[in-house]
Formats: sequence, C-alpha cells, structure tokens
Amino acid sequence: MSDLVLSTAQVEVKPARSAIGSLRTVQTACILIVALVIVSPLLMLFVASLKDDRFQILADMGSFRAFWVSDPTLSNFQEVGNFSGQLAFGRYLVNSLIILASTVGFGLIVNSMAGFVLAWGSLRGRALILSLVIALYVIPQESIIMPLVIMVSRAGMTDTFAVQIVPWVASPLYIFLFYQFFAQLPKELFEAAQIDGASVFRIYRSIFLPLSLPALATVSILMGIEAWNQYLWPILVTQTDYARPIAVAIATFFGQDSIYWDRAMAASVLMMIPILVLYLAFQRWFVSSFVGSAVKG
Amino acid sequence: MGKRLLSLLMASAALSGFAEAKTVIHVMHQGDPGWVATYGDVAKRFEAANPDVDIELIYAPHDAYNEKFSAAVMSRQLPDIMELDAPFLANYVWSGYLQPIKPLIDQDVLDDMTESNIAQGTYPVDKDLYAVGLTDSSVVLYGNRKYLEAIGARIPKGVDDAWTREEFEGYLEKLSKLDGVKWPIDTFRGYGIKTEWITYAYGPVLQSAGCDLIDRSTWKSVGTLDSDACVDAMAMMQTWVKNGWVVPQSSGTNQFFAEGHPAALAMGGHWFYAEAAASMKDDVVVMPLPKFGPKGASPNGTWIWGITTASEHPDIAGKFISFMLKDKQFRDYARDDSAYPGLKSFAADSPLYDAGGPMAVAFEQASKTAVARPPHPAYPIITSAFMGAVDEIFNGGDVKAALTAAAEKIDEDIDENDGYPPFDEQP
Repeated sequence: MSDLVLSTAQVEVKPARSAIGSLRTVQTACILIVALVIVSPLLMLFVASLKDDRFQILADMGSFRAFWVSDPTLSNFQEVGNFSGQLAFGRYLVNSLIILASTVGFGLIVNSMAGFVLAWGSLRGRALILSLVIALYVIPQESIIMPLVIMVSRAGMTDTFAVQIVPWVASPLYIFLFYQFFAQLPKELFEAAQIDGASVFRIYRSIFLPLSLPALATVSILMGIEAWNQYLWPILVTQTDYARPIAVAIATFFGQDSIYWDRAMAASVLMMIPILVLYLAFQRWFVSSFVGSAVKG
Repeated sequence: MGKRLLSLLMASAALSGFAEAKTVIHVMHQGDPGWVATYGDVAKRFEAANPDVDIELIYAPHDAYNEKFSAAVMSRQLPDIMELDAPFLANYVWSGYLQPIKPLIDQDVLDDMTESNIAQGTYPVDKDLYAVGLTDSSVVLYGNRKYLEAIGARIPKGVDDAWTREEFEGYLEKLSKLDGVKWPIDTFRGYGIKTEWITYAYGPVLQSAGCDLIDRSTWKSVGTLDSDACVDAMAMMQTWVKNGWVVPQSSGTNQFFAEGHPAALAMGGHWFYAEAAASMKDDVVVMPLPKFGPKGASPNGTWIWGITTASEHPDIAGKFISFMLKDKQFRDYARDDSAYPGLKSFAADSPLYDAGGPMAVAFEQASKTAVARPPHPAYPIITSAFMGAVDEIFNGGDVKAALTAAAEKIDEDIDENDGYPPFDEQP
C-alpha cells in the first residue's frame, strides 16, 4: 500500500517538474525574442554601416538582408572619421565629447550640491524651494527654447561650447534625484559629522558624496544621454562647425532630395560608442540605484 | 630697446588689426554633403578673388531650417545671405526680412534668368525681385520601360500628349496585376510631412483637376480647397492608396530603381533622374505629369538666394551671389546632380534638359504647365494645413472633412492677420 502511495506520489511530481521546465523554456524563448527585437535595430544599423551602397541599404530594409552584409567595407567609416575638410566628423565627435564631459562634470557638482542643501541644509523654505524645483520639471523644454535663444544671444554666448553646456547643467530632475538619495541617508551621519566640527560643505564632500555613487552613476548616464543627443538646441545657437556636435553633422546626410544612409549609419555607429562606454562604466551603480530604490520602496 | 620693442608690438597689433578688418559675409544654407562641400569651395574661390572678404557659411539641416531661421530672427542674428525655399519668399518679404536684390546682382545674371526663375523670386505685391537661383525644379512621371511595354502603355512624347486621368488609372490597375510589380507607383510618401514634398508634388494634382489650395484672387481657401473638384481629386489619390497601388511611407524614398524594381512608376522630382538613370540606364522613361482634369499642371520653385535687410554689406553679398551663380565648378556640380536650369546659359550647358535630352519633358513643363505655389505670406500655414489633410486622407480619413478643416485653418490664419495687408487689396 505504501509502495503504491509512493509510486503515485512519484507519478504526480514528474508532470509538475515537466510543467516548470516547459514554462522556463517558454519564458527563455520569450526573453530571447524580446531581446532580439530590441537588439535588431542596432544590429541593422551596424550591418548597414558596413555596406557601401546607400540604395542597397534602402532596398534591404524590410527584409532579412538588412542583417547581412556579404562584402563588408569600412569605407563609410573612413569618410566620416576625418578631422578636416567641410565635413570633419572627427572634429564634431570631439566637440560632442567636450560638451558631454563638461555638462556631466559640472552637472554632477551643481545638482548634487543643490540636492544636498535641499535635503540637509539649514536654509528657510526648503520645502517650498523643493516644490518649485519639482514644478520646473513639468515645463517642456520646447516652450522656453526661443526665450532661451534670445537670452544667450544677448549674452554673446552663441557659437560657443559654453552655450551648449551652461543652460543644461542645472536640472530639476537631477536635483530631485540627488535630494531623494541624500534624504534617505541616516540623520546620525550628518549629526556625527557636525559634532566632529565638520562644515556643511565638508560633510557633503567627504561623507555624503562618496556614499552617493549610485545617484552619481544614474545622473551621469541620464545627463550624458541627454547632452549627447541634443540636436535642436545646437542648431539654434551655433553658426559654424567650431563647437557643433555630431548629431547636427549627421543631419547633413538627410538632405532634401536624398538620404545618404551608408554614411549616416557609420556616423551613427561612431556616435553610439561613447555613450555605450559611459553606460558600461557606470551600469553597475546605475542598476544598483534602481534595485536600491525598488527595495526601499 | 624698449621703444623698439614697443614699436614692434604696435606694428604687429596694427597688422593683426588690418588682418581682422575683413568684411565678413554670413551665408545661411542647407543641403546634403555634396552641396555643403560645393558651397565651401565656392566660398574659398571667392575669398581668393576678394582677399578683403571672409565668407562664413552657416549650415542648417534641411528639416530644422525654419527653426534655425526663426532663432536667427529672434536673436537678431540674420545672415547677410540666406538660402530660402521659393514659396516662403512672400512670407519673408512681407515680414521685412528680405531686400530687393535686382540692384545688387550683376546685370548679366539678371538677363540670364528664365521666366520661371524670375517668377519664383518675385514678390507679387511690388513685382520686385528678391531672390535669384541657378536652378528651378519640376516633378515628372518616371516609368519603367519594361513594365510599360508589358501592359502596352502609350508613352507620351511631350507635355501636350500627357496621359489623361482615365489612361493613368487604367495603367495603374494593369500594373498592379503585372508580375514583378509590388506597387504600381511611388509618390514618395517616404519624404514625410515635414518637408515641402506633399504640397509641392500633390498640389499640381489639384490644379490639374480644376481647383487649388487657395483662391488666388480672393485669397480664401474655404470654397476652393474643399470644393468638389479638390475633394474628387484627393478621393482619387486616397483610392490609389486604399488599392495598395502606392508605395507606403514606411518603404522609404526609392522603390522605383531599388533591387527588383518593385515600383513601376514614380512621381518624382527632377533630381531623381541622375540616380534612376545610373541604376536603370535606358529602362527609365521620363513622361509629363498626367492631366487629371481640364489642364496639365506641374510644380516649380526651389531653394534660391536672397539678401536680408539685416545685411550691412548688401553690395558684397550681391557680389558673392553673382560670383557663385557664374562659378564654373559650382555649375558643373549642379549639372552633374541633374539640377534643373534656372539660368539660360546654364540650360544651354545642360544637355539633359535640351530638346531631345532625356529630361526635355521636365523643361517643357516649365513653360507650359508650371504653377507656382501660392505666393502669399500665409504660405507656411497653407502648406502645413494641406500636408496635414493629405496625411489624414492617406490614412483613411474623410476627404471632405479633412480638406474643409485645412481650408478653415488657412482662412482663420489670414483673418487673424487682417488679410495680410496689402494682400487683402490684391486683385
């Protein structure tokens, strides 16, 4: 009888395991399909950048040939990777890197300081200022872009690197992100440092900032992507190639009459690399910041 | 020694001062990489011939050109010379941004302009010339010879024997059933609704059908754009789309000479010829646009050069434009790009458009069927309203409702601007 019972139990377990296995297979397949869908445009971009016929690229779009190149060439990269001439893409790339590094560098300092002061500073009306900062976030960039153009042109800033950096250094979103991160740190840390005689700036620089790597990583990546992809603003406030970023240069390939897909794809691949490097450099802390915020609920 | 050093420093400062005393002419333009390089080369040649002048080129991408122009206006940084799309000329002149160009351009260039070129640069109120160009433009009907022969289509010899609407739609139907043809026609929906393409290329369909975007004597759109003739013409185009005869927007801007030649016909700009001929050789047939109603109609107008009212050196700006339009290398590049002649001397140098040339039909259209887009300050609204309506119609919307909404939008803008005087007094 007991054997019979045992035997029955074994029979019951087997289908359950098999069901879990099937479910996992289906899940894995679904994840692979989703991953493939997400990665496929990037793959198509990379493959197209290795083709030397822009019409062929166009013809291949919409079929599996878009993901295959029989005779790869680096000629497109050679054409867009130059540092001199009318279309000096190398120069535009360097311009973009300067703008990215400066915006993120100054942005981390300014926004973290503002966030820290709002979280731990002793100024009056912090709550009101914080509300105002959050309220600023809902104002769309498009609505203030023309007044901003007038302001920077009257300040004599047009056609400079500064005009592409200064207006975007302070951001309500990043101030709020830093505020939220700093506000979650234990009060005892701040008080202990105060008892030890540390100034507010010292507490920020030596204690809170080193602890805020996840926030710094998150803001670096988000701010970096934003600075890197700026398109309309540089068009409006720059005149020459002196400080223009690569996003504007790529637009040259999208003419009135024809689109130079081959070179546009190669330039896009080049444009993608720095931002990928930035993400890979910070992704560990970037991910942990999201996990942390999810756990803290 | 100290005095000598001081003198030396002063002399070098004076020299550098002289070096910086060059007159700077700012030129705002758009264009693809080939044109950007060509403008740069022309500027260098001009600077070499005029060492006291610096030409500073300001590039603005095609799809953000108007935004760049608005920013330049608002920040009071208008360039000396600006490239402008001809139908926007009336708006720019009315707004006070352009100055009459005739006194500033070499007489031989002015004498060399074709009628169509003069028309595209002329402001209708004072009949004065405000912009000039080397080129003009047109749209023709391209055909794949093999497919046309397969269905026994009549191939027109010139503008006068263009296909009628019945012939055209009959051929579309036959082509739709022909092996190898995925779409009977590419109308270049891939250009999207952010460019001028829809108004430029599809506007003549309305004009050929007996209506227009706006009444050109009363400057009212309601009653014209939503008239029966226009509704019928746009319903016809909607049917082509519904039947699956038109290359969809998602398929890009070339299915005519793409591999396998999936599109049999293409309603394309003159610039399309160079690429099509390079790919298809003698299989490309160039035909006039069909007659969809009582008369033939084709578009004209392109990007031309004007001198702004902000220019402090209009004479030098005019000298540069004259230099550019006469520059041999500039013309050679334009000719190789199958540019449509706007100067008679350039036409004589363009065998493509000469009688018997493969694009002669396109040039014939300029004198026989070309209809300029409405030369009115409200043109930016006219074109955006029409493009929105066409987009809605092609996506299955109600034709009459879409055209009425567009016409009302246009009239509202004109009313809000008190009729854009003195346009309200125009006959």
